[in-house]
Amino acid sequence: MSTKKILLAGTMLAMIGLVWLGVVYWMSFFWVSTEVTQGIAQRIFYVHVPAAWTSFLAFGLAALFSGMYLWLRDERLDRAAVSAAEGGMVFATIMLTTGPLWGKIAWGTYWTWEPRLTLTLLLWFIFLGYFLVRSSTENPEKGKRHAAVVAIVGALDIPFIHLSVIWFRSLHPAPVVIKPEGPTLPGDMLTTLLMSLGAFTVLFLGLFLLRYSLENLRSELDTRSRHASV
Amino acid sequence: MRNYLKQIRTILWKDLLVEFRTRERLIAMGAFVVLVAILFNYATDWARVSPEDIASGLVWMTIMFAGLLGVGRTFHLEAEDGAFQGILMSPVPKDAIFIAKALANFVFLYIMALLVVGVFIFFFGLEVGGSFGMLTLVIALGVLAFVALGTLFTAVSTGTRMGDTLLPVLIFPLLAPVVIYGTGATSQFLAGRPVTEAEGSIRMLAAFALTAFFLGSWLFRFVVED
Repeated sequence: MSTKKILLAGTMLAMIGLVWLGVVYWMSFFWVSTEVTQGIAQRIFYVHVPAAWTSFLAFGLAALFSGMYLWLRDERLDRAAVSAAEGGMVFATIMLTTGPLWGKIAWGTYWTWEPRLTLTLLLWFIFLGYFLVRSSTENPEKGKRHAAVVAIVGALDIPFIHLSVIWFRSLHPAPVVIKPEGPTLPGDMLTTLLMSLGAFTVLFLGLFLLRYSLENLRSELDTRSRHASV
Repeated sequence: MRNYLKQIRTILWKDLLVEFRTRERLIAMGAFVVLVAILFNYATDWARVSPEDIASGLVWMTIMFAGLLGVGRTFHLEAEDGAFQGILMSPVPKDAIFIAKALANFVFLYIMALLVVGVFIFFFGLEVGGSFGMLTLVIALGVLAFVALGTLFTAVSTGTRMGDTLLPVLIFPLLAPVVIYGTGATSQFLAGRPVTEAEGSIRMLAAFALTAFFLGSWLFRFVVED
């Protein structure tokens, strides 16, 4: 597919995602019923959970593309990996800011060493390393390879981090952690959540394609200016 | 296979020989460990906390920071006079280079880690008692995981403008399981609990160390290829 088509598809998806997100905001503020115990603060859930899902999807894709890049050495795979990783950082940052805001009200504290929180924060730092490696390596080719190694080790390390932070919790039970949601969610809440999941996923895919076509254009520009200088 | 082992042994022996002749890294790490313990003494109110309560955490954090000093120098000697190109061009497989480098780091860091335990026994009267053998095993596994990821990512960070500054950002998030399981097992030993209670942590630590080692020897070729 040509860069132009990808750019168009990305713009379309991002626009749909944004409009859809507007609907989700309306639903979560005005349509869905207020949760009994947590009150109004629970509404942040409709942003937080989809952001979490999207960031894990994005980081997973980044690791997958990185692995394929090391294997096949196709530039496009590296561009896809960095685009996904950047989306992952954005949505992980949303998750890490909305979480403590909600936690302060529901748990009475911004941060607890709850496994999912810790895991996300560490994941955020792993991908911070991914970007630092990319940007601080003199030779871009080398930077891509090194960053791919960071992403792969990070992805394979995740199960260990996950198990260890859960194990740590079982040793030290935190005092007043309310389980945020039961397995059964009332109908309208579930609808809002699913709508929001859809909106975030579409928005992410749109941003991903936009970012990917930007990378394509950049490398094209690079090639042309090199030709021009020769 | 025999050739492979011989290649590993040659590089490992070279690194050990250079280090034991100059003793630069060992002296720096050793001094760091003792100085950190001296500072810990003033940073902690020993009238309120007993060494057994916090020693496991302090021991592991000291190992992590001192280890960072140690692995950061892995490729410096070669990088300075371009000898690393020579090793890479020699017919030694890349994973053999990685294993040799990581094992050399393991020797230095293990000596340093045992020094950490010794310093805590000496300065803070830490009671290790009958669990000393198990403690050295847990530390060996933790150090093995550390050097595996440390050696791999030192090769990454040495090639960047940020150099060693980047290393902790890259490896600390990945090494969280080492600190968690290592501290967990160590505090159980220090509390005098039976070894069977720490068995789960020891197994996880071993699994992590092995995974990290295989990952390192597999991915190292992508880091050093040019």
